Amino acid sequence: MAEEEDPSSYRWETEYEKTWESIHEDEQGLLQGSVEEILHRNKRLRLQKKKNIRLGMMRHLFVIVDLSEAMAVQDLKPTRHLCTIKILEDFIGEFFDQNPISQLGIIITRSKRAEILMELSGNAKHCMAGLKDIADAVCVGEPSLQNSLELAAQTLKHMPGHTSREVVIILGSLTTCDPSDICSTIETLKSQKIRCSVIGLAAELRICKALVQATEGTYHIILDEHHYKEILYNHISPPPASGITESSLVRMGEFSSHVSDAEGKSSLCNCHLDSKVPGEKFGIGGYFCPQCHSKYCELPVECKACGLNLVSAPHLARSYHHLFPLENFKEVNINNRTDSELRYCCGCQALFTEQTVYRCTQCQQLFCLECDLFIHDTLHTCPGCSSSRNFNMGI
Amino acid sequence: MSAEEGNLLVVIVDTNPSVKLMMKGKNVLTHCLDSVMVFSNSHLMISPLNKLAVIACHSHKSSFLFPKPQNDDSEDDRPTDGQYELFAQIDRCVKDGVKQLVLESPQETLHMESVLAGAMSMALCYIHRIEREEKSRQKLSARILVVTASGDSAAQYMNFMNVFFTAQKQNVIIDACVLDKDSGLLQQGCDITGGCYLKVTNVSALLQYLLWVFLPDAKTRKQLVQPPPVHVDYRAACFCHRELIDTGYVCSVCLSIFCAFSPICSTCQTAFKLAPIPALKPRKKKTKTGL
Repeated sequence: MAEEEDPSSYRWETEYEKTWESIHEDEQGLLQGSVEEILHRNKRLRLQKKKNIRLGMMRHLFVIVDLSEAMAVQDLKPTRHLCTIKILEDFIGEFFDQNPISQLGIIITRSKRAEILMELSGNAKHCMAGLKDIADAVCVGEPSLQNSLELAAQTLKHMPGHTSREVVIILGSLTTCDPSDICSTIETLKSQKIRCSVIGLAAELRICKALVQATEGTYHIILDEHHYKEILYNHISPPPASGITESSLVRMGEFSSHVSDAEGKSSLCNCHLDSKVPGEKFGIGGYFCPQCHSKYCELPVECKACGLNLVSAPHLARSYHHLFPLENFKEVNINNRTDSELRYCCGCQALFTEQTVYRCTQCQQLFCLECDLFIHDTLHTCPGCSSSRNFNMGI
Repeated sequence: MSAEEGNLLVVIVDTNPSVKLMMKGKNVLTHCLDSVMVFSNSHLMISPLNKLAVIACHSHKSSFLFPKPQNDDSEDDRPTDGQYELFAQIDRCVKDGVKQLVLESPQETLHMESVLAGAMSMALCYIHRIEREEKSRQKLSARILVVTASGDSAAQYMNFMNVFFTAQKQNVIIDACVLDKDSGLLQQGCDITGGCYLKVTNVSALLQYLLWVFLPDAKTRKQLVQPPPVHVDYRAACFCHRELIDTGYVCSVCLSIFCAFSPICSTCQTAFKLAPIPALKPRKKKTKTGL
């Protein structure tokens, strides 16, 4: 946490922190109120961060997973390796939920080698299947930072310029075994505008720090499982697009005609052409490319025949909330209010129990803390605004 | 049906008086409300663990009819004819609520569509709270039933989509029972969340439709023959002309959809660099072959 505030110094070099001074006793000599206030502030802290910045919406992300001996250590339960897989599983689900037209790949490194476990893909199911393979893998040898970075760069450098290229490295080992000078690799990564971030499971390494500084990534060392998850989840929301990424209009088939049973003949979908199971995915329903009429059973996908990006409109709509974020609610004290109308949360109809409630700056409705978090984290639509005619015509 | 799992049903009734349907007969709205009430009561009768909420959605606002926030009115609402107390209470709440809504509604402006997205987002907040409260006691699976007769409006598209994706994430099924006009947005919502979309042409038989199609919970539905899935049109409307398109261009920065190439994005003012090159290439080839 310390490096977030001041990247130049370490926590042990800073002044002594008197953490107990921020807690005050109230009139009855209780600490409860003060502690609650701190918790409460932390809860909302996440919401405050959002600002109107240009985001890199189309992302290509490689997750490099260390599978060296160090990952078998049991400081995370049950082992670092299994804990990582569990957290990654949730991460992948959430990643595709938030970044519907992005792609994700997995690289593993062990015994001084790196291999692509799964090529970049836009399908969460493929990624999950890839993860299952790692779960059974044995952690052996040393990792190779250079090999895995080179491998990621090989694929990422061919990605179009309007997409963001990212690498997230999950490193358990304190050593790396590299065939040549890693500094030159860092230079190439920098020139290819690949953003590298590192999550360290053990301790800080100088080479990782140099890597993230050169490529404008982030470097975090985890404290525990909870912190680990939090840090990995930071990579879910799209990073601010750096000025270097080009922008362009991408041609896409934004449609999806799901043919119902009545019309159309049964056919084989293009994604399962090389499947070994006969008769699999041979059916009537599916999505047809508007350009060449090849059939796919899942979206989003790039058409194998004509190269058109196929998405459905809801996929695009899913990420609009990044672009039109809901404004933060204002904190209001209801201490001296007696209106019966204002004693209930507009969202969940619960009676306000706490003193502070939240008011939407648009429609002036009041919400409880839980609804405030739910609305800003998940719903992205203010129930007050959307159910009153004056405000919902905004977008 | 397992005994220990309850169902939370949120019924959203569109009470917009300005729809064509209401012009047809005198008592259509009353009839629909009665059907919805009988349906709601049947839902509560299926299991003592089942819960119910009713939201009315009007053209200018939406509000909870049941449960009402605990008011301090302590009038004796015990039924005299031996009716189950809860049913009598729901009955009274819904009647009073609708009456109040109709009286409150502004006279000057009539809107064809209701603020359904708002009602649905309120329902999701409510479900979120109830699930949180009940987490320790029992497993609760929630669903939303929308009974509406007004069409959808493009202005609410974003709100609708946010609601659908939230519902999908929270495992809330959205069912829609449409009385008059087909609603493309609700069709998408039902498809996304795995709910059932049904257009009822014969309003006098509404109760029967409700009981047959929407009363069983998600588990039971798998064993029943459900109405065939509708053909869902997922095509997007372009930002420039608001027309449905098959293929188009998407801005890489803000994901706006355009039907034709333009050098500057009208939403985020980004100037595009690369894209015209592939557009030029085929033309060159054509001229060469022509020569």
